[in-house]
Amino acid sequence: MTRMTNPLILKLDQRDRLSDDEKRALENAITRIRVVEADEDIVREGDRPAESCLLLDGFAARYKIVSNGRRQISALHVAGDFIDLHSFLLKTMDHGVSALTTCRIAHVPHATLEKITDEYPHLTRMLWLDTLIDGAIHREWLTAMGRLSATAHMAHLICELYLRLKTIGRAEGDTIQLPITQAELGDTLGLSTVHVNRVLQELRKEGLIRFQGDALTILDWERLKKVGEFTSTYLSLQNEDR
Amino acid sequence: MTRDITLLPMPVLADGGRHEGQLILADGQLVAVFTWVTPEETVGGQERAGGWFLEAGFGPCSTLLSVTPPVLATLDEAVNWVQARLDNGLAQP
Repeated sequence: MTRMTNPLILKLDQRDRLSDDEKRALENAITRIRVVEADEDIVREGDRPAESCLLLDGFAARYKIVSNGRRQISALHVAGDFIDLHSFLLKTMDHGVSALTTCRIAHVPHATLEKITDEYPHLTRMLWLDTLIDGAIHREWLTAMGRLSATAHMAHLICELYLRLKTIGRAEGDTIQLPITQAELGDTLGLSTVHVNRVLQELRKEGLIRFQGDALTILDWERLKKVGEFTSTYLSLQNEDR
Repeated sequence: MTRDITLLPMPVLADGGRHEGQLILADGQLVAVFTWVTPEETVGGQERAGGWFLEAGFGPCSTLLSVTPPVLATLDEAVNWVQARLDNGLAQP
């Protein structure tokens, strides 16, 4: 179905080798591919999907809206993320996921996921790992949100997104494409646009990053990590038996 | 409800350095701090480009309760915003 390597396979294969059989099972699990435009919902709070969505291209946000339209983005998703694998077991979505940019989405029926869990124990563990990493990212974000300065929090997010994109082959050297607006970054970090602009300015002035349009270049990885108190353990990037 | 609103000019060392600022007091109590921000500081948001920005707020003026901390054109608008917040109390964001 997909000619170029499915980014989910790249993502999982980095953590533990998948067999050809397992890769085929993941490829064949995709029944259709659809394009979702920026700012459209991929799944909505309250939905009871019969399929899970795998992000092939683009950026998406997991979010909740509180009264008066205030939005908190609780996760950012990049290619290779199995956005609502949760809905396979949770059934009813307790939050929505919307596209921040044009997204290409692959659909995997829950019936197929059930078959995978019946027939492929190692692949099942790898999908379990994927949701565990999502959980680890939430823990890290919660800590950053509560206890890091605005500048450190932004530096932490940039370090994480860079590594996540690099894992699936979407970094060019020290540069990633980050087509996310300041307002969306604000909803992610719990900051006003004013603060987002100030901290980006500070990171630029310190010579840590450079923005050219949507292209974000990391100029000093070691110092950026230090500012963001970033260690990559929670992303479980090592290849080992799982 | 009539309140005694007082403005007190005060420079603020916010992220990005010194900003012109105004403390807003209601009946002698500090309820909000507004700073003057440039259009560069508001780029990419839904806020007005440049103006008086709610840097910090207390009680009903808390920045957490605001869709996005507002950027207002004039200090009069900032005072009106504070008044409306105090009138609505915690009931309405």
